[in-house]
Amino acid sequence: MDFYLNLINTIGIHTMLGLSAYLLLQTGQLSLAQAGFFAVGSYTAAILTVIFQWNIIPSVLVAMLVSGFLAFLVGFPALRVKGLMLVVATIAFSEFVRMFFYNLKWRVTRNGEEIGPDGTMGFAEIRYFSDNGWSNFEVTLFLWSFVILIMGVIWWSDQSRTGAVLRAVGEDELAASSVGINLTVVKVSAMTAGGFIAGISGGLYAHQVTSLDHHSFTVLLGTFAIAYPILGGLSNVFGTLVAVIFIQGLLVEGLRFLGDWRMILFGLLIVLAMNFKPLGLFDKQTMDLIKKAIRV
Amino acid sequence: MEDFLYEAVEIIQTIWDGILFGSTYALIGIGFTLIFGAMGKLNMAYAGAAIAGAYVGLAVSLFFDATIIFVFAVSAVISTLLGYIVYQTCFRFIPTHNHLAALMASVGGLFFIDELIVLATLGSPMNFPGLFEDAYFEIGPFGIRGDLLFVFLIGIVSTLLLLYVLFKTRLGMATRAVAQQDIAAQLCGINIHRTNSITFSIAGLLGGIAGAMTAAAVGVLSPVMTVPLTIKGLIVTVIGGLGSIPGAIIAGLFVGAFENFFLYIRGIDERDMYVVALLFIFLIFRPNGIFSKTINRD
Repeated sequence: MDFYLNLINTIGIHTMLGLSAYLLLQTGQLSLAQAGFFAVGSYTAAILTVIFQWNIIPSVLVAMLVSGFLAFLVGFPALRVKGLMLVVATIAFSEFVRMFFYNLKWRVTRNGEEIGPDGTMGFAEIRYFSDNGWSNFEVTLFLWSFVILIMGVIWWSDQSRTGAVLRAVGEDELAASSVGINLTVVKVSAMTAGGFIAGISGGLYAHQVTSLDHHSFTVLLGTFAIAYPILGGLSNVFGTLVAVIFIQGLLVEGLRFLGDWRMILFGLLIVLAMNFKPLGLFDKQTMDLIKKAIRV
Repeated sequence: MEDFLYEAVEIIQTIWDGILFGSTYALIGIGFTLIFGAMGKLNMAYAGAAIAGAYVGLAVSLFFDATIIFVFAVSAVISTLLGYIVYQTCFRFIPTHNHLAALMASVGGLFFIDELIVLATLGSPMNFPGLFEDAYFEIGPFGIRGDLLFVFLIGIVSTLLLLYVLFKTRLGMATRAVAQQDIAAQLCGINIHRTNSITFSIAGLLGGIAGAMTAAAVGVLSPVMTVPLTIKGLIVTVIGGLGSIPGAIIAGLFVGAFENFFLYIRGIDERDMYVVALLFIFLIFRPNGIFSKTINRD
């Protein structure tokens, strides 16, 4: 049972991570910095609950704000570089964050035990859930309430004017600015919102896995973050969820017996998917089919 | 005074070694820049293909006891082939305006190549044969490592060959025409897909040489080298100016020197942080790189 709960938690965390990239992709920005914001969120929340002994909810909220603010700061210089330059800049940013935590050492002694991030050794004493007697099921409920909240907000924004504005910028910047959309505001807001979401998912991730290691926040994670929405399609949030369930549930866990072949399969799958469905699984064609099927 | 002089000599020596090693970054940067210039797209699988080429070269040297020149040649050929395959699988059939899909597909290609290497070698680093490791030239207080000098010379020769192909042959003219205006080039009867696949192959050739050079200079080959090499290559491309070959060369040598300098004064753990910081400085103050083009394509 615990195995399935853990898998569900992982799916929840990766869904949030994917959704943080989803918003940016709608505006046409390809950011590989989500892993960096995720790392900042997880370290911030973990430091707050472990070293300062905060409650988890304010810790996650502060993690969200810190990541969001950082995303806001990254958003401005990133605006000067568009398209593919943004990819390079954000890869570099996320590597910078990873190396920062790789070198971060902040040990304090509490109750005769040394705790806190320990550079290359990682950060291993995040026991908030077990110290406060949360059951695994409660953790899953707690985590998924965030997932559902975020999915709900993005779903709602997709239906409203906000979503239309984001898409307009993504489709054609020139046309969008000619109808009076302020590109800077839209792009930096999307970046900041992405940072908020990545921060939340990072904060929850830290407490779910109980130990952090800089190896978890490589460019690979950032690639996963953008792979979910791109593979799932940008027409709605469920595309991302389906992609996460498929990749994390089926490819990573379900095919565990294949060992290293899973990653090869993953690479092959991306190449094939992009050749046959360049706009993602839930593109217009698929959505029309689904709508027809529902009506009949 | 003695100490100060000693320190100064050490630092100059460090920077010099860095410049020699930087020729590998320059070659990788040229590969990225060539492809970007031709298609306006990034090929993320590029450094992966370069390392894969070096692996096959290494395998050949292990099985057949081949000379180092032969190892380099095999690396280059395999990497050329991989460049062609990457074009056919990740770029050829994806709509030209869809940058996201092409980028994502080449990332998939990178995973695929990377994991094949891990599977074939069980993920453990392997020793790569160096050349002229015993050779050491001394000029006054400074020394030049033979293997680094060899790597540097190969880098220069391949760059000169590339420039010759690009600017003195019909093939190079077609490549440059497609890079400037693909529709106009097509109207003149140039087959875009053919030219692009040749560009990818040429870039792959350079990548294979660079991969083997990196491995020969470091002395080991490991699958974890692909991602850092990709990142360094991209940084060099951006600092040099996207699409600019001289920019990539200068930026590559500069990044090599910069990196080795910080390795000397701050240690291996912090080295890459400073390289990334250098990129940010460029992005803020000179976002188009050293050799910025007047017309910004992207």
